Amino acid sequence: MNTVRRAIRPEQIRELILVLIIFGAILFFGSQIENYYQPRTFTRIASSLAILAVVAVGQTMVVLMRNIDLSVGSIVGFTAYFVGRAVVANNEMSPAVVVLLAIVMGAGLGLVNGLVIAYGRVPAIITTLGTLAIYRSILVQFSDAQTIITSALPEWLVNLPQVDAFVVGEVEVKLIVLVAIVIVLIFQLVVAYLPWGRRLYAIGSNPDAAAMTGLPVRRMTISAYTLCGALSGLAGFLFLARFGTITVVAAQGLELQVVAAVVVGGVNTFGGSGTMLGALLGAVLIATLEQSLLRWRVVSEFWRDALLGLLILLAVATDSVVLARLRLLWARGEIEQL
Amino acid sequence: MTKPILEMQHISKRFGTTQALADVSLTLYPGEIHALLGENGAGKSTLIKIMTGIHRPDEGEILLDGRSTLITNPLDAQANGIAAIHQEPMIFPDLNVAENIFVGHRNRGGVVRWRQMYRDAAEILARLDIKLDVRSSARGLTLAAQQAVEIAKAISLDTRVLIMDEPTASLSAHEVEQLFKLTRRLKEKGVSILFISHRMEEVFSISDRVTVLRDGRFVSTHPAAEVTAESAIRDMVGRHMDDFFAKSATVRGDLLLSVRNFSKENVFHDINFDVHAGEVVGFAGLVGSRRTDVALALFGIETADSGTITLDSQTVAIRSPQQAVKLGIAYVTEDRRQLGLTMPMSITTNISLPMLRRYTNRYGLVQRKEEKKTAESFRERLNIRAASLEQTAGTLSGGNQQKVVLSKWLNTQPRLLILDEPTRGIDVGAKAEVHHIIDELAQQGMGIIMISSDLPEVLAMSDRIVVMREGRQMAILDRREATQERVMTAAMGQTA
Repeated sequence: MNTVRRAIRPEQIRELILVLIIFGAILFFGSQIENYYQPRTFTRIASSLAILAVVAVGQTMVVLMRNIDLSVGSIVGFTAYFVGRAVVANNEMSPAVVVLLAIVMGAGLGLVNGLVIAYGRVPAIITTLGTLAIYRSILVQFSDAQTIITSALPEWLVNLPQVDAFVVGEVEVKLIVLVAIVIVLIFQLVVAYLPWGRRLYAIGSNPDAAAMTGLPVRRMTISAYTLCGALSGLAGFLFLARFGTITVVAAQGLELQVVAAVVVGGVNTFGGSGTMLGALLGAVLIATLEQSLLRWRVVSEFWRDALLGLLILLAVATDSVVLARLRLLWARGEIEQL
Repeated sequence: MTKPILEMQHISKRFGTTQALADVSLTLYPGEIHALLGENGAGKSTLIKIMTGIHRPDEGEILLDGRSTLITNPLDAQANGIAAIHQEPMIFPDLNVAENIFVGHRNRGGVVRWRQMYRDAAEILARLDIKLDVRSSARGLTLAAQQAVEIAKAISLDTRVLIMDEPTASLSAHEVEQLFKLTRRLKEKGVSILFISHRMEEVFSISDRVTVLRDGRFVSTHPAAEVTAESAIRDMVGRHMDDFFAKSATVRGDLLLSVRNFSKENVFHDINFDVHAGEVVGFAGLVGSRRTDVALALFGIETADSGTITLDSQTVAIRSPQQAVKLGIAYVTEDRRQLGLTMPMSITTNISLPMLRRYTNRYGLVQRKEEKKTAESFRERLNIRAASLEQTAGTLSGGNQQKVVLSKWLNTQPRLLILDEPTRGIDVGAKAEVHHIIDELAQQGMGIIMISSDLPEVLAMSDRIVVMREGRQMAILDRREATQERVMTAAMGQTA
């Protein structure tokens, strides 16, 4: 037992189980849905995953600090729409400028969230519930009920989801998936090795002790929300590339999928524990379920959200029951060794 | 003589390694006001918690009207007519006076009969001669009025034993007089009152008998008429000093910190003291003396309204803990579980947390090897006992946790170290180790402020002792002139 304890931590057991569940889900849908094992299925899952994973990385940082950002869906829709408008107006814009515009736009919206929470002393859940509605309303107001259509977009943007980064045998790795994975890796490095990341965990574990230690809690709150907004902006760009057609309801309800991915991925809603890798695995599961259920006729589309909700509840419940037990077991091991 | 209502007989209670109460007996008669005196940690709170069913005694018996009774929870206590009111009234600010009075009542049917409730509430208030509108919201009431409501609540529950735990601590003189009138009225009605206060003059003005506890043991019970402030203080102090390690004599270094006319409205007032390098300045006082608030103001967590702080002959305004750390001030909190440590994080990461920037390489990444080296050096220096430095702080014993908090702050290389109750709740061995560490730090030239409610500790470790009482500085005693009696006399507001 002690060797097992030393080799792996309870969180890793959780991630392992998640991988098994993902494979289980794929096998299950493979047996239920005709022609499931086709490149098209996985391309779809992959492009859905890319968007979800990028936002989930931002959400994870916020949740690690014992906060939440419900406005991510609106930020993604907002940036997808307005960046789309800018590109439609000027098809010659260089890709780098387009991406940068999306990131800056998202960061600005995230900054507003952070400022209100840090200085307005409004709880995060209320603030972002408010901005969820506000950002969406601004989008509706300034869109003049116009829709961005694929044909008005430059070719490079429309073709982006199909671009392969590299091909290994039969498996084509899409560029946007690679981008998402690189972002996950970069931010895993950030939270694990940068002082900023360490402070994130410390504040999430015990905000009062963090303040008493002299950690800049407000500055951290603002920077975490700004980063979350920036990543949502980037996801908005990916959203635009993936769908081409953007209406005012673009990415509505995405926050549910993102929170589900983060929570299922083992990021503790009370802050202080969780990893980017976990959130990525959570996003893989949610994207797989979402795309597979679309094609599984047994479950009507109206039940899909309910299933996501059920997953969130299950994940949190197992976290507080099973994982707490495991942690206790591990902690006892540490005490016994004394 | 009348028969006693409540007899606590040979009560003992142990928490972990601390013997909170050992063989304590106390008898309450109907219609008496009985004062309970003792230093912080003498066992008063534990005794009250046993009477009100929050704790259960390990040994001993509680007799009610001569019958042995088990009080296993607060509801039991209520059913047996025992109630307590505290310094901070437990009032529901959004409910009105009548609702507050009846909030604890059961079996009044499924529907609130408002008219009857107002009638009953008004009747109780009239009986106690409390002039309050039963319909007024509790939020706007003064502290004294809130306490009156609490007393009315207790009476509505047919309380026969009323425990008043420092009820006067936040009241003005006039309010205290009103409260005492009310208390005497209860006494006339045959209620037995256990009265706890750190104000000697109050104790003598209102009580019939006085019981003193010390170190969880019964010391004496006397009729109030036979007790003087001096005799009570003598009973309260007089703990053994022999097993205490004393600070070695150090050469007084340069003036490090100078605090003048330091005030914060309604919290502390006109605090003046100096700390030299190599010196330990002890802060003594009872509960509510506001010593911690002074420390928090020095560390930038609270802000003072007026006064000056001079550090190394530079006047400074400290507005945040970040700034305090930069100035070389460290504060080790009294609440290490809630505020001192991040329990799910490892020993290593807890220690490096305030100083993370010191461990980054040129790419800005934290170098875990360097962090570990620091943690390792503190483990050796302070003798932290843990299976590994990766062990989470939450799994350590109290003494080892305290050493980790100390390491964390020593790692910021402070010139001024503020220790708030550095040995509270840790075992004797770890306590001695902490004392040795404090001594060593002083010898190395650090200036130390040590807040402690442990009188022998303050006396043994301090070069000078600042005594505070209710936010005011009562005395500064030199090491040579300080005795337990003198410190306690000042802490209780008596002139020696």
